[in-house]
Amino acid sequence: MTSQMVTSASQQVASLTDALAAGLKRGEQYVALLNQLATTSDEEELLAAASQLIDFDLQDAYVKFPQHYEPEDYYLLLVGRLLELAGEDDLTVKPDPAHQRLTMHLTSFKNNYTFCFERKRNRPGAFFAEQGDHEPLFNLDLTHKLLQFNNRALVDFLIVKEINHRNDLELRALLKPLVTFANLLADKLAFTINLGILATENEAKFKLASPDLKLTVIDRLFVQTAETAAALLSLPKNNGAKLVLGEGVALTLAFDPDDFSRQWYFTVADPDAKLSFLDVLLHYSLVRNWYLGNRGALAIMDSRFSLKPENEVVSEAPVVKDEAPASAVEETEGEEAAEKKPASASAEPEKEDADA
Amino acid sequence: MTSEPKNGAQPISEMINQAIKQKVDYLDVLRKAITDHADEKIYALLDQRRYAAEIMHREEQMNDTGVMGLVDDLTDQLSNYLSTKLIKYLSKTYPFFYYEEYQTGHYRIYFGNWWDRRQFGELDVLNIRFVFDQGEYQKLAESFELNRDGKRYNGAKIDKLSKENDRLQGLIDSGDERAAKKEELQAELKEASARNGLFESSKNRETRESIVSQLSELEDQEEQARTASGKIKENNQLVLELSKENTILSYERKSITDTFGSFEDFEQENRNLYANYLQSLVGSGKQVIDHD
Repeated sequence: MTSQMVTSASQQVASLTDALAAGLKRGEQYVALLNQLATTSDEEELLAAASQLIDFDLQDAYVKFPQHYEPEDYYLLLVGRLLELAGEDDLTVKPDPAHQRLTMHLTSFKNNYTFCFERKRNRPGAFFAEQGDHEPLFNLDLTHKLLQFNNRALVDFLIVKEINHRNDLELRALLKPLVTFANLLADKLAFTINLGILATENEAKFKLASPDLKLTVIDRLFVQTAETAAALLSLPKNNGAKLVLGEGVALTLAFDPDDFSRQWYFTVADPDAKLSFLDVLLHYSLVRNWYLGNRGALAIMDSRFSLKPENEVVSEAPVVKDEAPASAVEETEGEEAAEKKPASASAEPEKEDADA
Repeated sequence: MTSEPKNGAQPISEMINQAIKQKVDYLDVLRKAITDHADEKIYALLDQRRYAAEIMHREEQMNDTGVMGLVDDLTDQLSNYLSTKLIKYLSKTYPFFYYEEYQTGHYRIYFGNWWDRRQFGELDVLNIRFVFDQGEYQKLAESFELNRDGKRYNGAKIDKLSKENDRLQGLIDSGDERAAKKEELQAELKEASARNGLFESSKNRETRESIVSQLSELEDQEEQARTASGKIKENNQLVLELSKENTILSYERKSITDTFGSFEDFEQENRNLYANYLQSLVGSGKQVIDHD
């Protein structure tokens, strides 16, 4: 019964109190950061608080904090606070006691949709997903200051799943706070954002994932325009087609005639530059039905920011991943599916999000 | 042989000079018209008879054969020169036609600027007329005719292919049913075969033969079902081609109806194109002068 460590009684107590004090200090830091997250009106401070909380290690051998948030919750609180500061109240944060987490809901949308952030192994940041299907609508990476919408998920969620239940205006309302959030990140916090098919500038190019396009796919759109108000025009350089939809709105599917790669892309032109590609899918059933019927050929590429080894953002590289065909609506011919190779890209192949 | 051959009272040299003068005069006038870009005058010089008949309403004027052939080697250039104003006029009166100069002075007509528009013939600039591709033109005329009865140009063909596809799909879908039936028939055949031989009743033989023929029909269907999905694909491609043609025709009909009201009015306009165009030149020329 001899201890090799010879310490006095006071030393014993002191080492315990030191450890307890350190644990309490950790708790104080945690509380301070939470307060900062909850009350600051400065966006930079808000981001700093959220970032630190996400990485905050609350584990302590001497002092336990049984009640605390998880990293996913801080992402959600960041979204909530940033929108709150901007006076946007279409999204609200609510507790979900059953799962001991925070959830986000749309106030403008009469539906019990529940949104949460989810983290994935070996992937930076967190993924904002509806909790029914867990398909992430966007990825938020605070470390690299990136936000990236996922085109496939947007189409699956809004065009495949929701369009039959509600009108396009409701669905646009659903997207509004998300786009607002992304723009706030870009404007206030110098984030690099990629709105994907939510981009509204007339110059935005929505690239097809498939490396080449059979013209019969365009033929199929053409025959649908017979006896309608819409007209499908040929481009002057025979490099694609332009669907004139009326009121100055036009959807173009083209490739750059000077570009050897013949990368096909959509553009959407409207007088106020307010319509995104997704808006066109939402609003025009002619385009929507054609797109869903030929999704294997027409899926929009999901680019992903590629990160340098030293974790610097360099470029937005076209990546292997594309908006996968939804089996339910697909009528892809066998050989088309078989032919479809991912556009080769420098980035490392990554697993599909959906299977995580 | 110093004496000059005579043609009546006129010495032949004088006659030649007269004829040369006429040619020179003609060329002088033509040259000036070209310099002034007086297209109406050029047309009058190029086809005096037609100009007199259709613009001056004088039927008796004949072409002066002495001068008509003088610029024959310049037709391509003249056509190119005259096309500028003509195509400008046509783009207003026939807004749905587009032109491509595939060689100097030769113009292809395209109907529309839509996806897969058709090449519809050529523009004869010197004669101010469309030389429509008769096959394409006929399709359009027929499409107008059918449209009056609410029918589409390839409607019947498309219906036939769709029905055929339904039948083929039926064959694919009834595979299980067929397999069950086949099993049943084979069992019956076995039973019937057990009772054949030297003393087989004629009834039994009939039964057996009927089973065999039913089995062979099933086999036929099975064979068809095997190739059905390929055939359906082929048919779908055909339907797409036919629908495309229908769509093109519907765009064309709409253009003509929007611009002229009816196919008949369109044809009427084509017949009057020469006169209408040249009168428009006179009209615009006068306007310019008035404003000066």
